[in-house]
Amino acid sequence: MTKKDLVISAIKLEETPRVPWIPFVGCHAGSLLGITATEFLRSKDHIVKGVNQAIELYSADGMPVIFDLQIEAEAMGCKLNWADDNPPAVVSHPMAEGVALEDIKMPTIEDGRIKMAMETTKQLRADNPDIALYGLITGPFTLALHLLGTDIFMKLMLEPDYVHDLMKFTTKVCNFMATEYVKAGADIVAIVDPMTSQIDPMSFEEFVQPYAAEVFETIKNEGALSSFFVCGNAKQNIEAMCNCKPDNISIDENISLEYVRDVSLNKGVSFGGNIQLTVSLLMGTEEECQRDALACMDTGGKKGFLLAPGCDIPMDTPVHNMKAIADLVKDEMRQGELRASEVATKEVDKLDLTAHWKSDKVRVDVVTLNSKSCAACQYMFKAAEVVSEPFGDDVICKEYNIMTEEGVQMMQTLGVRNLPTIVIDGKVEFVSQIPPLDEITKKIEAQLAKKKQLV
Amino acid sequence: MEILEKIAHCVEFGKINKKSPYPPNMRNEDGADEYVKEALDSGIEPNDVLKEGLMIGMNKIGVKFRANTVFVPQVLMSAKSMSVGMAHLRPHFISGAVQRKGKFIIGTIKGDLHDIGKNLVAMMLEGNGYEVIDLGVDVGADKFLEAQKQHPGSLIGMSALLTTTMTNMAEVIVELKKVDPTQKVFVGGAPLSQEFCDKINADYYAPDPQGVIEYANSLLQLAS
Repeated sequence: MTKKDLVISAIKLEETPRVPWIPFVGCHAGSLLGITATEFLRSKDHIVKGVNQAIELYSADGMPVIFDLQIEAEAMGCKLNWADDNPPAVVSHPMAEGVALEDIKMPTIEDGRIKMAMETTKQLRADNPDIALYGLITGPFTLALHLLGTDIFMKLMLEPDYVHDLMKFTTKVCNFMATEYVKAGADIVAIVDPMTSQIDPMSFEEFVQPYAAEVFETIKNEGALSSFFVCGNAKQNIEAMCNCKPDNISIDENISLEYVRDVSLNKGVSFGGNIQLTVSLLMGTEEECQRDALACMDTGGKKGFLLAPGCDIPMDTPVHNMKAIADLVKDEMRQGELRASEVATKEVDKLDLTAHWKSDKVRVDVVTLNSKSCAACQYMFKAAEVVSEPFGDDVICKEYNIMTEEGVQMMQTLGVRNLPTIVIDGKVEFVSQIPPLDEITKKIEAQLAKKKQLV
Repeated sequence: MEILEKIAHCVEFGKINKKSPYPPNMRNEDGADEYVKEALDSGIEPNDVLKEGLMIGMNKIGVKFRANTVFVPQVLMSAKSMSVGMAHLRPHFISGAVQRKGKFIIGTIKGDLHDIGKNLVAMMLEGNGYEVIDLGVDVGADKFLEAQKQHPGSLIGMSALLTTTMTNMAEVIVELKKVDPTQKVFVGGAPLSQEFCDKINADYYAPDPQGVIEYANSLLQLAS
């Protein structure tokens, strides 16, 4: 199963051997190359180089081609304010400045950066046949807001027909962009419509749903899969988003993943998200990132879930934080360690080990994950057993696996943080790597000698 | 319904004036515009029109917004209704017949051009009886400092939508507190959190406009 197959299976709600990982790298790839967001987002060569690097560095199963929701607006006459460390921002709204809807030009491949975006897609497709590529298009409501400005919110109430006309037009633009992305080789086309988080479900149903549904239909007819991205607290609209019939929805940390899982799976739509962008990725430690990602994976499950940051990751996200998540996705042992220590710190009562320790015997406790995939655990326990045997009754060697409650309690009580670990009479001696047998023997001998002296 | 209640009702449900088609169930009825004028003409104290009419309506919509039962379009309709009512009160503000609660300086932080959230907070503050000095977007330390100097004793609020610009708040707070160590600074915006607020030494983080109003009001109470 290729990485691309893994992503496609998850989107199609099939059981997957592991959770697929889509690191939403946008202008952050510019920082990998040591250039500004502006330089990055304006050049096919830079994007191809940066995204390829990010795919490699973060072991991506899928990746967006370009995370820039201003491409369409720029091509349609909105002015952009370019920044060093962010995607550009739309600063002029032609329809707010008096341009009539009829005079707004339908973009063509030749306008703005659209051709560059499609050529970038083609190149990344050729370079990464086994990775799922996402073409991201500005959602019809967000594009309408780019064209009209925030007046759109009151016009929903005061001039609904005007807004419908505008939405019909932006939907045409979406259909055009979606078709171009599929032609260029995108496997999945995502409608990114963050501004819909600001409106109520009734307005969403009236002003967004029919239009978004039309775009998803187009994507389907073009033979690609679809996703609906929203950022911000759009909890109120999740159900209506699913009713637009995308194949997948993706959300950020403002909405609980449990809630989205329950709503979307019930509607037959797969889902993705929602590692925290700032608290975890930008400002957190590697362990905090892994814990956040693991919580998402455990909530999401291996059917119909894709692990991803909440949105485009901040440009300065530390590389090691993203790599820590990439490692975790494939490392079931690390997942087990984190789960066990999480449980331990939160709910588990420590054991009273008074009776566990013996005045004349040495305890060799091996804490393991006891997973079939954990070969290291098996070998470490075997090593401890082999070494203990010649000591006969003087040494008690026992395995505690953290799939049992007792194992979790032992891990916490003994202060074990990594798996597997050998603890000799309550002291953590060997962590993760299996030591040479004579080293274990020496430790046991020394401890036993101490005890015999005391007796 | 008494007229002040009607004013509050129009603001809460976003009924601007008779002409406005929204909300559909109030079509062809008078709105905030007509009722405020009528109230003042009938001799009701301008101060009562503000505090027992307009402010009550804004407070109700603020609470609903916090509870996620209404969203930006509804709040903007309410704010618009409030502002057409406020227009009738303007001469009374100037004459001193109506006193504002205090001044609130607000702006989107340097490097950031997003103003939907900042504008909502400004409108809600105004509707709650504050005089708002809106510095706009992309506001750096110099502009905040100048406003602080011009309007001593004001509360100051800043917002950010981007993870890269929110960090600019820290420097501005240092500067503002250098001038006045008792300066209260509010921060808000989608990527912010209480954790971040503590880190940059801001006084208050609000996830919604109503939080800003409640904290500002509590500071006023403490002062009096």
